[in-house]
Amino acid sequence: MQLDFSILIKYIPMFGSALLVTLKVTFCSLALALVLSIPLSLCKISKVKFLQGFAAFYTSIFRGVPMLVQVFMMYFGIPLVTGLKFTAFSAGTIVFAMNSAAYISESMRGGINAIDRGQYEAAMALGVPYTPMMKDIILPQAIKSVLPSLVNEFIGLLKNTTLIASIGLVDLLRTGQLIQAATYRAFEPFFAIAVFYYLLVMILSYCGKLLERKVNKSDRG
Amino acid sequence: MIEVKGLYKDFGTLHVLSGVSLTVNNGEVVSIIGPSGGGKSTLLRSINLLETPTYGEIWVDGKLITPPDPYLHFDVIRSSRTYAAMLAAGKQDMEAIQEIKEKDLLKEKDLFHTKEGSEYRRLMKEITKHDFMDTNIVRQRIGMVFQHFNLFPHKTVMENMIYAPMTVKKVPKEKAVAKAKELLDSVGMLEKQDVYPGTLSGGQKQRVAIARTLAMEPEVVLFDEPTSALDPEMVKEVLDVIKRLATTGITMVLVTHEMGFAREVSDRICFLDGGKLIEDAPPEVFFASPKSERAQAFLNKVL
Repeated sequence: MQLDFSILIKYIPMFGSALLVTLKVTFCSLALALVLSIPLSLCKISKVKFLQGFAAFYTSIFRGVPMLVQVFMMYFGIPLVTGLKFTAFSAGTIVFAMNSAAYISESMRGGINAIDRGQYEAAMALGVPYTPMMKDIILPQAIKSVLPSLVNEFIGLLKNTTLIASIGLVDLLRTGQLIQAATYRAFEPFFAIAVFYYLLVMILSYCGKLLERKVNKSDRG
Repeated sequence: MIEVKGLYKDFGTLHVLSGVSLTVNNGEVVSIIGPSGGGKSTLLRSINLLETPTYGEIWVDGKLITPPDPYLHFDVIRSSRTYAAMLAAGKQDMEAIQEIKEKDLLKEKDLFHTKEGSEYRRLMKEITKHDFMDTNIVRQRIGMVFQHFNLFPHKTVMENMIYAPMTVKKVPKEKAVAKAKELLDSVGMLEKQDVYPGTLSGGQKQRVAIARTLAMEPEVVLFDEPTSALDPEMVKEVLDVIKRLATTGITMVLVTHEMGFAREVSDRICFLDGGKLIEDAPPEVFFASPKSERAQAFLNKVL
């Protein structure tokens, strides 16, 4: 079979909008995941048994159930029971965010636990209450130390967003499927999509490295 | 100013402090010395509530800063059911109190909440309500300088200085910065205000840490072995700063291994060994003629 990438040319606008959809899902999920992961990691280090239990249960659910099953539950299952309607976009974004939050909170907990006791003691000795101490002293240092794993999580999230194609949102993968259906050619569109994802991941890794270098400037010397 | 009453601290089965009582008056400079593991740091950290005593109380300016210890209040012991039961069994007043204290009958968890009776709980609450000082207020009034400096590595020297005054005391930024510059200047660190702590030497870090503590305008400063983590050539610059501070009339409690320094700046020397306060005397007296054998042995080793 002859490869002919020129057939893709007329689909370039489709790739463009699909790329935007993928990025939108990824960034929205990540933002939501970061917001969710902070209280979740605080629950995990909390001395309150109930909060600990809740966070552990939450994490075990999202670790234990395949993400595609979660996506189907959120999009097809839950609306039937509760009457809540989700668009494919919001159902996917919520599931991805809740998943990432579970993983990020786990590494964040490690990051928080790795902070020297002396940092807490110095803050406490200055009369700083718990909330500003965590917000201004502990979490910034913890986040810095988990930044590499955060970038990994981000990359994993980007790739996992392909699952959203299964509930019909036209992201990069779904676009490939549509082009395949229209042209009866599979290699060219999926190859193009693979290249897209690969480049995105490379760009993300690079940005992650830059960011790491930037926040590490206080450690130099 | 600070009154430590019958302080006990256990870490598991390890008894770090066994009944230390100590008073620090306003404007006094008190050095706590003694062999390692004698409980010096634990005593100091208890005053700043970084440790919660197992038994005993600490009072600051007539206010209780630790949880109340029922064993220090006979009226509280007498209001307990355990005491009533003992009297009913024919024991004398002091006999019963003694036994309750020795066997730690009030702090057994199941007794504490369920069986000791409403009068007991009322009295405990009364103590807390009338005499208690909030932990964060205590810490604003009692600053602490650590062995390992504990500067915030993600903040510049200036940010380290102004963070607590702005966050805790709500000092406006310009005022906090002005005060910080003054303090940094007094410890010779003004030109380093914009660098991160990672670029400073140990001595410089400790000088910044002292200035940071002073930025909260505490009435008391606790020094927990402030020069023990420093290279020898940096000890002097830090001791000079502390020495100058001692002359300002601020109350200070120091845990230190620098005997010459302790002798020079202190109004009193407290010798702590085995979790007990063995001697409490002016430096001239302590260093010239220590009363206890243990203090003599210690001084022979370190001097």
